[in-house]
Amino acid sequence: MDSELQKRLLATFRVETRERLETIGTSLIDLERGPSADLEQELIEAVFRETHSLKGAARSVGIVAIETVSHGLESVFSALKRREISLAPPVFDLMHASIDLIGRLLPSLEAAPIPEENEQVRALNQRLVRAAKGQYPPPPEKTALPPAEREETTIEKSAPPKTVRIATEKLDAVLQQTEGMLTAKLAAAQQVEELREVGRSLALWDNEWKKVQPVFRRLRRLRQADGIDGDQYGVLFEFLDRNHATVHGLTHRLAQITKTAELDHHHLGGMVEAVLDDVRDALMLPFASVLPILEKSVRDLARDRGKTVRLATEGASVEIDRRILEEMKDPLLHLIRKCIDHGIESPDERMRQEKPPVGTITIALTLVSGNRVEIIVADDGAGIDTELLVRTAVDAGLVAPEETERMTATERLNLAFASGLSTSPLIDDISGRGLGLAIARERTASLGGTMSVMTSVGKGTTFRISLPLTLSTFRGVIVEVAGQLFVVPTTDVQLVSRRKKEAIATVENRETIDLAGQHLSFVRLRDILGLPQPAPLAENDYVPLFVLAADAGRIAFGVDRVVGEQEVVVKGLGKQLRHVRNFSGSTVLGNGRVVPILNSRELAGSAVQAATAGTRAIVGTAERKSVLVVEDSITSRTLLKNILEGAGYRTLTAVDGVEALNLLKTDPVDLVVSDVDMPRMDGFELTSRIRESREFAALPVVLVTSLDSREDRERGIDAGANAYIVKSSFDQSNLLDVVRRLI
Amino acid sequence: MERERNNAIPDRHQTSDWDELRRRLTAAREAISREPTRAEKQSILMARAAILAQDPAGEETAADYAEVLEFRLAHELYGIETTYVSATAPLLELTPIPGTPPFLLGLINHRGQILSVIDLKKFFDLPDKGLTDLNKVIVVQNDEMEFGVLADEIAGVRQIRRNEIQPALPTLTGVREEYLLGVSRERTVLLDGRRLLADRSLVINDEE
Repeated sequence: MDSELQKRLLATFRVETRERLETIGTSLIDLERGPSADLEQELIEAVFRETHSLKGAARSVGIVAIETVSHGLESVFSALKRREISLAPPVFDLMHASIDLIGRLLPSLEAAPIPEENEQVRALNQRLVRAAKGQYPPPPEKTALPPAEREETTIEKSAPPKTVRIATEKLDAVLQQTEGMLTAKLAAAQQVEELREVGRSLALWDNEWKKVQPVFRRLRRLRQADGIDGDQYGVLFEFLDRNHATVHGLTHRLAQITKTAELDHHHLGGMVEAVLDDVRDALMLPFASVLPILEKSVRDLARDRGKTVRLATEGASVEIDRRILEEMKDPLLHLIRKCIDHGIESPDERMRQEKPPVGTITIALTLVSGNRVEIIVADDGAGIDTELLVRTAVDAGLVAPEETERMTATERLNLAFASGLSTSPLIDDISGRGLGLAIARERTASLGGTMSVMTSVGKGTTFRISLPLTLSTFRGVIVEVAGQLFVVPTTDVQLVSRRKKEAIATVENRETIDLAGQHLSFVRLRDILGLPQPAPLAENDYVPLFVLAADAGRIAFGVDRVVGEQEVVVKGLGKQLRHVRNFSGSTVLGNGRVVPILNSRELAGSAVQAATAGTRAIVGTAERKSVLVVEDSITSRTLLKNILEGAGYRTLTAVDGVEALNLLKTDPVDLVVSDVDMPRMDGFELTSRIRESREFAALPVVLVTSLDSREDRERGIDAGANAYIVKSSFDQSNLLDVVRRLI
Repeated sequence: MERERNNAIPDRHQTSDWDELRRRLTAAREAISREPTRAEKQSILMARAAILAQDPAGEETAADYAEVLEFRLAHELYGIETTYVSATAPLLELTPIPGTPPFLLGLINHRGQILSVIDLKKFFDLPDKGLTDLNKVIVVQNDEMEFGVLADEIAGVRQIRRNEIQPALPTLTGVREEYLLGVSRERTVLLDGRRLLADRSLVINDEE
């Protein structure tokens, strides 16, 4: 068979089989709960059909091992159907073992089966064949456990929803494109604003016109009285009249266009929002979709630990963003492990405490508001021994013994989330390495959520997780440093504030800041991120800052400006950037601009390192010369800016001549460095305009150009440029030489 | 006018030459019934043989050619196979990420997706001479990797015969040999897209 085709077939088979296994697993768990006779027969029938289909699918792609096992399963269920055998605990174990084995075989379908696998398949098949005849040899290692608590379960039956199967990548791509459409909406708003601006300019013109109109009328009347008509002045008057009429006509048309643009913006905005909502909705999955895995894991773990545990779930129909569910699977599994390992007691122990012998783990999901859900993972076990936790933390050197005196009950309990702390005496593959809870909490935080724990000795432990419904509803504080924007997740920020410069004091070579009587470490985000050091435009008396809570205490980060807080869409850093220190991802703001998201934990770590490395002396800001860089290419613009700032100049930038002239009006500079070839207004024209103006006639202009001919050079000199640098021979030093000579 | 046209139609009918047709049919009948001479047969067969014996090199297959996107970077012409190129776009905004190596210029928003952008000049350690626009992005990708490569200008797409690609001397191009397919007859420096995309040193993965 065509290998490419076979590969595709196997991929489809894999997806299908996983789904079938999940269905079989769920039905088995339902069967184990001991349903009514009718329901039991129905479930057996359902599983029988699944195993039959599975066998057929495996045969069609030529996977003998899976075919064999599913055939065995099918024959057992066929016997159950015919009531030749009855459901007994060994049957369940055998069934679970079979679907586990098929699950293990799935990843390596392409490779030839290895001998051990064949051996496992053969052994299992023999057991299945015997089970179908009603013979259950005792399982090799463990004795059968008492069956789980029987209780009446009814399964809601509903008509199967009408669905189609779509690859998740395709849906994600659609979502991304749709989020990109927000930019179009914003651009439309911008356009409306610009049209209104033109309208305002015309209104100004109209005012001017009204001012001169009386003069104009008087003049005309005077001339008419003198009986002069049809001479040069007459022509001029007529022209002015026509002009006036034309401008009026244009004003009217502009008003109409503006109105249409406003309507378009309104419609586009509404449509984009609606589409985005629908697409986000399409990416939502009911919480029920992760329940089979959780249920299976509860069953397997409890069995393994010799405990009997029942899983109660609530809110299975609540829908959440698929990406969030995917990310939360592991943290939830981890919490369940914690509950079974450390929470639920053994049946004997529970009897002694007069608790029901079967422990209960509750996973409840509730919508708390339009865009947040709360997941509660609770057990009715022993609870967390806070004293033991504190003792372990002291032993592990995580807290100083004297510190424990001052700790509140919550702080003590929160030690459970500290990394590297485990109260479990034995270290195994599941819990006891002490990393799990810390990671689970971090994963939650990276989704914009929070996790807390409550415990009551002898009664149980409750983990409370709060999550956004979709990834798009993540809130972030936007800060600006060195002209760049960064987002800090709002949930990590304790405080946003500003303090007078005097509040910063240097203690033992480290900077601290006084915040409401408390002294916090103070660092500058600029230093932590290694950004360039231009002094601020105007020396500010206040330092804006935000405060993060870190393991080592609270840290205040100084920034240039706190821009605000808003909802942000979490995006990654692209495939090339697997992990960049201090960053957890990026987001796209409404104007299409990409802004990095800071990783609070790593940032706090970097801050501690930077503080211990000693602080840098703050360079005083002398009066600095300023340069305006006019260049349409963003890379060249940034390069020129960096060179000039590196040499100590204050630098402004513009993308073309028009923007440069506007900028000069509000912020005069000492020199202009301009590209020649630019849209709207080129460098030659910009130079001439500067020379023509009264206030900038003497402003030095340096033209940087890719045009290298004598005519161009002469054209530049004619326009009034002071220097002419050719791009092909450009280098840092000749630019700086020229600038230094001119200012 | 009307009358003229009415006249013209029967005229044309008259001249629809039945005689001519008959003459041609007779000639055809004769040609079919007549056995060609030996010499004639020989010459026909020779002509057929000559056509069949022609070198099939004339019919080149697509595999003989590499379709290459050519772009200008610091006054040099580079090329990369179009199989690795998914799009080109103008560079409008760029967000630098602090703490990344100099060759990584930053992130852009490419059709709603975050894309990192690199400067090959810096990655290849080419001499930093002159100032060029560098405002076009070529999006290169395969299943595992995707990033943007900056260029001054997109020159176009051209077919290059694979057997005309010559091995490049690194001294000639300044680019390390491992990233090169070779140099085309027109002196385009052909980059190895597969190698570039698989290159670990381009991936940024800081220690925790």
